[in-house]
Amino acid sequence: MAVLERAFAVALTIPDNEAFTALETLRRLGFALGGVRRADIWTFEVDAAASAALAGTVATIETVFNPNKHDLTERPGARPQAGEVWIAPSDDTAVGSVGRGSIPGVRAVRRRVAWQLLDDTGNSVEPHVLERAVETFLCNPAFQKAIR
Amino acid sequence: MTARVAVPVFPGTNSEDETVRALQAAGLAAEAVHWSRGGAALRAFDAYVLPGGFAYEDRVRAGAVAAHDELTDAVIEAAQAGKFVLGICNGAQILLEAGLVPGTGPIRRPTAAFAPNRDGGRFMCRHVYVRLAVAPERLPVLGGLAASAVIPMWVSHGDGRLAAAPDELVRLAAGGYVAFVYSDAAGKPVPAPQGSALDCAGLTNAAGTVLAIMPHPERDAWTFMQRDGAAKLRARGATGAMLAPAGGSVFFSAFAQALGSPAAR
Repeated sequence: MAVLERAFAVALTIPDNEAFTALETLRRLGFALGGVRRADIWTFEVDAAASAALAGTVATIETVFNPNKHDLTERPGARPQAGEVWIAPSDDTAVGSVGRGSIPGVRAVRRRVAWQLLDDTGNSVEPHVLERAVETFLCNPAFQKAIR
Repeated sequence: MTARVAVPVFPGTNSEDETVRALQAAGLAAEAVHWSRGGAALRAFDAYVLPGGFAYEDRVRAGAVAAHDELTDAVIEAAQAGKFVLGICNGAQILLEAGLVPGTGPIRRPTAAFAPNRDGGRFMCRHVYVRLAVAPERLPVLGGLAASAVIPMWVSHGDGRLAAAPDELVRLAAGGYVAFVYSDAAGKPVPAPQGSALDCAGLTNAAGTVLAIMPHPERDAWTFMQRDGAAKLRARGATGAMLAPAGGSVFFSAFAQALGSPAAR
């Protein structure tokens, strides 16, 4: 049976304290930044036959998505967008469970964190700046990896 | 002269009070130094103990933000000058993120981490024993600790699994960086409860002057905190005995002895 990989970004619609702290720390490290965006990226390996219902199901899993404070967006592919890096465990282990039970047709679920650094004009910083932030702060290579 | 020990407090630190008390019970002049006082306030101290908690709410990664804090600038400077530094639980995570432990790479370029527990980072709280896994002279920061000393402590963390690249783990094992391993009460090795590599409970640097330990000795440092019964049963009804140092206090006494505290001699 064909297996599809689908990715969903879950970002806070309320102020993101973690992104703000990352911004402050990066500025302390000398990065000239205008902002930091962060989102949880949930990727699902799902049987093709069950794929159509996945988005609706994900929106009901309260441990992934809370409509009172989150924005849920499906990504066109399971790779970072331009200007973005995903931080994942080195072995990219699938999480043990999501929500209260298994999701029909889902074979594996992974959680990554997407970071996007912005300059003063609100645009993504140059790739070498993002790379330096990964090396100096965003990723601990002892147990994490950066997906670019 | 009694050594002065600073216990740096970041936003989210929560174990500073019991850590200060355990240090004071060992004869040291310990005080909590809050972040609002700035790094300059730390420079006059003889040694440092980074306590447990959730500095900066573990944002980004446990210990990552605090490792880049101004307070940690002062701790790094002191450690590089040879002053003794301990990190307990979240303090240990900070020391690894700061690159002070194991210290095999540049500062703030970590080569190891106390990473999420093997079951996805589930928080665990349980009583454990740890055994000194190196010769006492390899660990001057706890000078005077007996060879193969076994100390009761409490594990209380979601991120206590030593993780590093395979070649780094070989280096750490061969170089005597693993200062404490998990054991039973008799000192017999037991698997690390959270899957820590090398069954490591505590990691040190090349000089043995900085120690990062995940379980909490300060939460087992008085008789009333003991899980195992005999001493606690004997102390029932006797306030003084119940409040007497016990168990994990050995850890702080050894630290005091390393600092030459008169009370510890």
